[in-house]
Amino acid sequence: MGSKTTAAEVLVPDKKSPMYDRGTMKVVVLACIIIILSIVMTSSISYLITQEAVVDKLKSRDMRYIIDSMAAKIDGRIERAKEVSVILATDPAVIQWVASGETDERLGEYAKGKITGIARDYDYSNTFIVSNITKHYWAEDSRLISIMSESNPEHNWFFSALHSGKTVDLNIDSNTARGDTFVFINALMKDQGTPVAIVGVGLTLKEIAKEFKSYKFGEQSNLWLVDGQGKIHLSEKIEEIGMYLNDFVAPDIASQIIEGNISSNQPQAIEYTNQNGEIMDLVYRVTKSTDWKLVFQIPRRESISILSTIKVNAGIGSFISLVLIIFIFYYISHRIANPFKRAILLSKEMEKQVSERTQELSEKNQKIMDSIDYAQRIQESILPPSDELINMFREYFIIWEPRDRVGGDFYWARKIDKNKSLIAVADCTGHGVPGAFMTMAVNSILSHIVDEICDNPAVIIQELNKRVKETLHRNQSSSMADDGLDIGICYVEDKKRLVFAGAKIALDVKRADQVYHIKGNKKSIGYRRSSNDLEFVNNEWKIEDGDIFYLMSDGYVDQNGGQRDYALGHKRVNQLISAQGEKNLAQQQQAFEDLLNQYMGDEPQRDDITVVGFTF
Amino acid sequence: MEKLYIESTKSTPEIRFDPVINQMYIKGQSYPENAFKFYEPIFAWVDEYIEQMEQEVLVEIYFHMPYVNTSSSKCLMMLLEKLDEAYQAGKKVMVRWYYDKENEMAMECAEEFKEDLTVPFEINPVEENS
Repeated sequence: MGSKTTAAEVLVPDKKSPMYDRGTMKVVVLACIIIILSIVMTSSISYLITQEAVVDKLKSRDMRYIIDSMAAKIDGRIERAKEVSVILATDPAVIQWVASGETDERLGEYAKGKITGIARDYDYSNTFIVSNITKHYWAEDSRLISIMSESNPEHNWFFSALHSGKTVDLNIDSNTARGDTFVFINALMKDQGTPVAIVGVGLTLKEIAKEFKSYKFGEQSNLWLVDGQGKIHLSEKIEEIGMYLNDFVAPDIASQIIEGNISSNQPQAIEYTNQNGEIMDLVYRVTKSTDWKLVFQIPRRESISILSTIKVNAGIGSFISLVLIIFIFYYISHRIANPFKRAILLSKEMEKQVSERTQELSEKNQKIMDSIDYAQRIQESILPPSDELINMFREYFIIWEPRDRVGGDFYWARKIDKNKSLIAVADCTGHGVPGAFMTMAVNSILSHIVDEICDNPAVIIQELNKRVKETLHRNQSSSMADDGLDIGICYVEDKKRLVFAGAKIALDVKRADQVYHIKGNKKSIGYRRSSNDLEFVNNEWKIEDGDIFYLMSDGYVDQNGGQRDYALGHKRVNQLISAQGEKNLAQQQQAFEDLLNQYMGDEPQRDDITVVGFTF
Repeated sequence: MEKLYIESTKSTPEIRFDPVINQMYIKGQSYPENAFKFYEPIFAWVDEYIEQMEQEVLVEIYFHMPYVNTSSSKCLMMLLEKLDEAYQAGKKVMVRWYYDKENEMAMECAEEFKEDLTVPFEINPVEENS
């Protein structure tokens, strides 16, 4: 028992905690993996979708919008300059002044004031009136800055403009040193069909270049205005002006842009990978008012740089979810596992208690058994020893089987003198320890009576009745305790004469095949209700050689068993005795035991059993 | 008055005492460790029952007990004596004892009871088919 308990105690904690922890950890890890996977998957998918959408939007809308806006700005500025130039060219006062060869002072003041005002009020870097009559070059602020000469190549623009006959024309003068490009609008002034002057305005695109910056889409993006040779005229970066498109984009892409379909007003999109392996998105279009092209390019990396926040957010989201999940799982598994844990602890506690109680019980039981063992030794010590019995009988046997190791049955013998002896079998009410108490008292009373009074069985029983009553029923209040006994006593004289008296115990005598059942009296003795005046009868028996006598308590005949679980009964005992023939008493004892064991089978013993057989 | 019903156990009989139909029924073996404790409430019931018993009504007591140990038989005797007294006091009481034909000890037990009583006591063997 003890070793078993220790084994269980060692086993339980060993097995339990790691088992529990491993399970929880497994669940947490699995859940984390699943959730990280799903976050990564959804993030990746949404990242890809968003990237595609962003790139698509960039190409189809944002870049086009930028480039269209810039083109419109440039075109608008130039168109306005054209209009201004044409208005100046058709001003009748100015025409008249030029046609008069600049002689009219009043008109001259007007014309000079006019160009100065235009330059000042409409933000043109230059305004001019160049007369074909006087070849005078009048600039803003009434300055006469040059006289046109056909021999001067710098004045070629003037003469070619006159000869072209175009109402309005465009002349670009890029000044690389100043990092600026000037656009001159030349309008032909006619007086009655004859060209008299070229007038116009000059404007710088520097202002527009400033606007490029406002459209800047990213650190690495470029917006260029390039001419038919691929030369960059405008860029938000001054150092790039004057350089060529080839310097920045792959030559095949550059030539594709330069030689591309000029007539189309639609922006063209190109995607290419540069020498650094970066994907570049490029959009270009032609301007309406010039054959220049606007080119806008941006590295893909940069345009989708906003998406990197999605990456970062997904990362942060995964991390936070991870922490939360671990926490929640840990918490939940703790909360869920706790009752389980408690149940284990409880069952362990109960197991412990049970084993303790079992231990306690087994200790108590051991104590009781020890005590009963001792009681048995005491009870056995009052029973007559075998050497005394050997002296009394030629042969005898005794079956003494208390149901609970000690019991209410006992046998008693006394050799009074050389020729006289007494033998008795008594059955006190109760079994076990209570029965044993009775036997101790009755045994002692019986010995007293025989010692002090007489050896007459009937008298002994009558006296025993009185004395037991006196001894056991002194306390009237406990009326329910009513104990007594059955007894059968034989007095034997000279091995010739036997006198038997019984109180509910009979004497069986075997003579040859015959069995004589000497009943004795039917009343038990010693009970509260037993009358003090009970009288008992002595039965005389002349002993013949071979007579065998049997005294037994009711335990033997009352033992249940057999097919119907009835008591063994007198009939079977009778048959047993008569069947013994010439068998000696040791054999007969065996026969009694065999019959009993065979009859009771697996049934427990019902009562204390005593059988005494003897012969003279 | 309430009915008295006690279920049988391996060592105690089934008790079914019905004051309405005036029948008492005891069936089963009786060998409890403490017979007085078992029979005490039964005595109490019987005392109360006899107290309120009407003169004209016939009370029948059925016994069917294959085995009765010594202390139980003392208790049964006390029970029967209570009924005997009632009978002697003029009340109508009838004891019917049944035993299985083969069970001689049960019959002997009944006969021993009968000898000490004046109340009408019928002992009937029954075929063993239970």
